[in-house]
Amino acid sequence: MNIDAARANTYDVIVIGSGISGGWAAKEFTEKGFKTLVLERGRDVQHIRDYPTTNKFPYEFEHLGEPALAIKKENPIVSRCYAFKEDAMHFMVKDKEHPYVQEKPFDWIRGYQVGGKSLLWARQTQRWSDFDFEGPARDDFAVDWPIRYKDIAPWYSYVEKFAGISGNRDGLPELPDGEFLPGFPLNAAEDYFKGIIKSKYASRHVISARCAHLSKPNQIHLDQGRAKCQNRTLCQRGCPFGGYFSSNASTLPWAAKTGNLTLRPFSVVESVIYDDAKGKVTGVRVVDTNTKETTEYYSRIVFVNAGALNTNLILLNSKSKRFPQGLGNDSGVLGKYVAFHNYSARITAEYDGLKQFATDGRNPAGGGYMPRFRNVFKQETNFKRGYAAGIYGSRYMERDRSAIGGTLKDNLLHGKLSPWIMGSHMMGETIPKESNFVNLSATEKDPWGIPQLNISVAYDENDELMKKDYIEQLTEMFTEAGFKNITPNVSSQAPGLDIHEMGGARMGRDPKTSILNEWNQLHSCHNVFVTDGACMTSTSTQNPSLTYMAFTARSVDYAVKAMNRGEI
Amino acid sequence: MERRLVIKQILIMAGGLALLPSCLRDEGKSSILLKNISISLNEENLLAEIAETIIPRTKTPGAKQLKLHLFVLKMLDDCYEEAEQKQFVKGLSMFEDQVHDQFSKSFAKLSVHQRESMLSKLGNNSSAELAAFYKIMKEKTIDGYLNSQYVMTNLVIYELVPGRYNGYFPVKTA
Repeated sequence: MNIDAARANTYDVIVIGSGISGGWAAKEFTEKGFKTLVLERGRDVQHIRDYPTTNKFPYEFEHLGEPALAIKKENPIVSRCYAFKEDAMHFMVKDKEHPYVQEKPFDWIRGYQVGGKSLLWARQTQRWSDFDFEGPARDDFAVDWPIRYKDIAPWYSYVEKFAGISGNRDGLPELPDGEFLPGFPLNAAEDYFKGIIKSKYASRHVISARCAHLSKPNQIHLDQGRAKCQNRTLCQRGCPFGGYFSSNASTLPWAAKTGNLTLRPFSVVESVIYDDAKGKVTGVRVVDTNTKETTEYYSRIVFVNAGALNTNLILLNSKSKRFPQGLGNDSGVLGKYVAFHNYSARITAEYDGLKQFATDGRNPAGGGYMPRFRNVFKQETNFKRGYAAGIYGSRYMERDRSAIGGTLKDNLLHGKLSPWIMGSHMMGETIPKESNFVNLSATEKDPWGIPQLNISVAYDENDELMKKDYIEQLTEMFTEAGFKNITPNVSSQAPGLDIHEMGGARMGRDPKTSILNEWNQLHSCHNVFVTDGACMTSTSTQNPSLTYMAFTARSVDYAVKAMNRGEI
Repeated sequence: MERRLVIKQILIMAGGLALLPSCLRDEGKSSILLKNISISLNEENLLAEIAETIIPRTKTPGAKQLKLHLFVLKMLDDCYEEAEQKQFVKGLSMFEDQVHDQFSKSFAKLSVHQRESMLSKLGNNSSAELAAFYKIMKEKTIDGYLNSQYVMTNLVIYELVPGRYNGYFPVKTA
């Protein structure tokens, strides 16, 4: 009886999490014929069927999209996120439902459902280069990455072809080209700025933002049931065309088609089970969020893709005789060296020229992107590393609201085009430090009896210097371009709101100072892999999701070969 | 029979937004269900006249036909702080008194010119309540109008599925 039950709960592979990296693990393993169990702590979200707001007009939302005041007051954390609006708030975790401890202020923005945050992400996808992978070694922080660009380049290509990445081949060594669908063009004002930068700065570039949208689908995308992006820019609602990449539109249905996928929603992983006698992990312990029952599932290997900080939580909570400090944590660095992206500065301006052009339709890529230009080829400033910058221009309809009656009505209906409004936001690298960490709360538990995560992450002096430089440099570049009313906007937002938290189970060569090896495999427990944001040794400035996808596909390939060799 | 009637009346459309009605037998109360503020049917009717003065019927529908005053009430009820809600309600009642003191008749009976001039004066009124009332009333009437189904499908078209992007769309410079 027990043996039968155990057999029924046994799979080749268990993947914890169905977000952007878990979805990739599921696709890769099921395609290769492995019976795969994907555990998702939230509810199921089926592509299209479970996008209730996707075809709504603005007037169909209860308050034109603005969350009611009572909801905002009940959810101060998630309310700070730009995407927390009536059209997408059902995809975002409410503060009270999933408490955590903020030793220092940290806005932890989460999406607990099948597909995770891949439904909501901003879809920006840039490759890393060796200027990024060599950063820690060259600039003496964190530990050296155990891989280089050549190790991951073919896997970037592999995931890009399937996911569908639009972009131009810009030929920049600091931002390697990929397998691109046509890029979304810059508009007149963005192109003008690009020209100014090109003429005045040898090593600064403005390019079309690269993003996970099907500008021109290939057969592989049509085979997924996805279609050309329709420029709705309502992506956070879930796309009925599958115009952007998400687990829901792409990897999960692909995995399901193989017949090898079992997807179990409402399943919080309490811990990964380490068998001291066997010297390896045998499965995971799951709490059903509806029944609160605990069930064990078994497998040959486990991929932990719970989302960077939750992956740390699960590993820390997976204690055994062999690993009293958490699974794979011989070194004591698990949960430490957490970093993020510094998004705390923006700048806007006006440009009086090019009034003969405006924009028509909408650009899903969002505009332009300026790769990191500080400290790329050599150290040249008083701070470490640097920042990338989003660059965008738009004109909106100014509608004069001052009058009343018939005149007001006329003014409202016949707007006047504004000048070009130019904008930029900072995406800064932060330096992982031992003092930026997460650990398990000794006293607080979540509704399923699992210790809450305690988060202690803050900005440092380097972040401040970098922010100052961003404002100075963007002001200078905007001035060179003849922009007026240049207005820096420095926000006091807490870390976390960038939604790019990374690290805690970093990769490295030395088991004494890192958790994962060059294959995203636990140094000290070879049948457990981590390929979400927790694996990141440093953050660089690129939006991280594409790198997680590439790590995942590469790691599955390695794991399968190792299993075939009988090593795992 | 009665059940069918209730279902038919169950939703009140305001600018395209479906609102729940208040209890149908409760006479003298506002027609839509409000959780935090209390507005009488008379006040609701006055708000309709004010909204219509801000955005009147011309060749195209005005605020009253689009029920924008109900949209204002819905927003006020759900999206404003209690202090602002109180100011609004107080300001509305002060305005009603002001009209009566000045003209000895109701706002609805005034000429368009008289109505517009009464409202225009509110913007820089020394009374915080009157100013707050008018600010919210005007802002939300305009928001409701521009985002109404009528305007978005007939006058300033909102495209759900543009299917294109042109970054060099030629426009007149004048």
